[in-house]
Amino acid sequence: MSGRRILALFRRVVQEIRRDHRSVALLLVVPVVMTGLIAFIVREGESPAVDAVVVNTAGPPGLVVAAALGVALEADGGTASLVADEAAARAAIEDGSASVAVLLPAEIAPGVAMTVTIMTNGLDPAGESTQVAQVGRAMLAATASATGMTVPTIIRTTLYGVPSDDPMAPFAPAILGFLAYFFVYILTGISFLRERTGGTLERLMATPVARGEVVGGYLLGFGLFATLQVAILLAWGFGSVEVPALGPLPSFSVGLGLPIAGSPLLAFIVVVVAALGAVSLGIFLSTFARTELQVVQFIPIVIVPQFLLCGVLFPISSLPEILQPLVGLMPLTYAVDGMRQVLIAGADLGQTALQVDLVVLTAVAVFFATIASLTIRREIA
Amino acid sequence: MAEEAGRSAAAEPGVAGAAPGAGAAPGAGAAPGAGAGVAGAPSAGAAVRASGLVKTFGPIRAIDDVTFDLTAGRIYGLLGPNGSGKTTLIRLLTGMARPTAGRAEVLGVPMPSRAVLARIGYMTQSDGIYPGLTVGENARFFAAVYGVHERGPVDDALAVVDLADRVDAVAGTLSGGQRRRLSLACALVHRPPVLFLDEPTVGIDPLLRVEFWAHFRSLAAGGATIVVSSHVMDEADRCDELLFIRSGKVIARGTGAEIRAQAGTPGLEEAFLQLGAAVGATR
Repeated sequence: MSGRRILALFRRVVQEIRRDHRSVALLLVVPVVMTGLIAFIVREGESPAVDAVVVNTAGPPGLVVAAALGVALEADGGTASLVADEAAARAAIEDGSASVAVLLPAEIAPGVAMTVTIMTNGLDPAGESTQVAQVGRAMLAATASATGMTVPTIIRTTLYGVPSDDPMAPFAPAILGFLAYFFVYILTGISFLRERTGGTLERLMATPVARGEVVGGYLLGFGLFATLQVAILLAWGFGSVEVPALGPLPSFSVGLGLPIAGSPLLAFIVVVVAALGAVSLGIFLSTFARTELQVVQFIPIVIVPQFLLCGVLFPISSLPEILQPLVGLMPLTYAVDGMRQVLIAGADLGQTALQVDLVVLTAVAVFFATIASLTIRREIA
Repeated sequence: MAEEAGRSAAAEPGVAGAAPGAGAAPGAGAAPGAGAGVAGAPSAGAAVRASGLVKTFGPIRAIDDVTFDLTAGRIYGLLGPNGSGKTTLIRLLTGMARPTAGRAEVLGVPMPSRAVLARIGYMTQSDGIYPGLTVGENARFFAAVYGVHERGPVDDALAVVDLADRVDAVAGTLSGGQRRRLSLACALVHRPPVLFLDEPTVGIDPLLRVEFWAHFRSLAAGGATIVVSSHVMDEADRCDELLFIRSGKVIARGTGAEIRAQAGTPGLEEAFLQLGAAVGATR
């Protein structure tokens, strides 16, 4: 043990890190910015104003409740309006003009147990829970003040039926999409960086190969592994294979058995297209990195904001107003939405929402592939 | 095209006449069977031509008005200390970097040109091989990129560098010298008529170095133009002609004997110092 030698090592570490401005920034600035952003999201995240439609089949007492509900919701900046029947209410939720539908029971009278059905879109389970809770509180106030009636029982449902009671179900679409994206980015970024640092890119550029061909080859290569990864991930996620009891071994099931309303193939396509975007993003960003550490350093800059804003952690509907425009810029937003469309809404390729997601994800992949091939430096195109 | 931006510093003593390309240099006549097997090479004869090449990085003139013609079928040695501009010059000639002024031509075509890149072999200073692939996979990969899909040329290239029996070895497990040899093989797989070799013999043992040079010689005899950079003077005499590079300029050109005579020194190293000092004096 020599104090001097330890001191020498200490000095070397300090000298090296001090000169690596990115590491200093990562260490000192990024955590401050990150916590600031998260605090902002959590504090300023407003419970969005609820626009409710009310279906009244109970006659005058229902009108009284609806009016009281309207007053309660308006206090929070929302609205309540009457629609003719459940079909109209569904239509209003589907086209986004209302976020919640309240279906009143056929009979509203003192002493009669009252069951109210609250319906939401269902695509954003966490965000909608907030809204349902808000409407539930408003209902409580409305029924009590308007009629002095019993506390209503609230049944929650969605456009796509009663939400699964699997606690993992609300997270599954977002988590599956995010993880595939993240790991593919890391793999590609670091691999392509090796091409630069190992001198092979220089040599490759001295051959007749075109830059687009390099990026194309990488897209195919990593695309293959991304595809494999997604296939395994989704099989694990949706699959549930019962293994029968064998001798002393009890039976057990393999796979998470997550609920999926739509076609697993579509879910697969959504994630693969998103992952191809991660491949081109990885190639593009590796241009700005000199070491593998620096590829990792991009994570808080390009991955974490996407994680915070794409609805994995915080429901998009409850994000602060000022961040909403950013949400639309995050490729992951579309991956998560696409997965929700397939997993929860059971969307097929005919659904506009899913089409939009796929088109945006494809465009993102093509865009980054293009600028990635432009950033590979050579004088010959 | 920036033509010969006035050679203001042309009055350098002991340099005048040596640097600018005087086509075929004196004393070259016997050596090459020039042009044999170099299909499509311009009849003009210059396989590689630099005209008034300048490359600046900020205030630094890394290549400072270099002009020369290199004839097919000969081995040229780019000699100079570290940082003198050898690699930058090769990058300009291969079209990997764009000159600030002047132009580079290979096989009569202005660089950069992807078509000509298919006929250039370039061995970079770093090995530039994939450590995760085997020897054979590396060679076959570069062959495919060059558009060569037969096994023959690949096997030949590996045989030349004495790696034929290590085809299935993972490149990352090779010794430094073996990696260097693989790197050379990867530059030969498409049998290019023009070869740029950036310090090819660094880390190679003397025996293999002799074999390397024998192979370079046979390639040149077949009509290939070979440009070898080195800072090892004892390799210089194996070249048909030498270009001394110092501070981005060609300060002398000729056979080893001519340069010794010009500098009036017995050895090339002394000649280099002598000629370099002459340049230094005018700066």
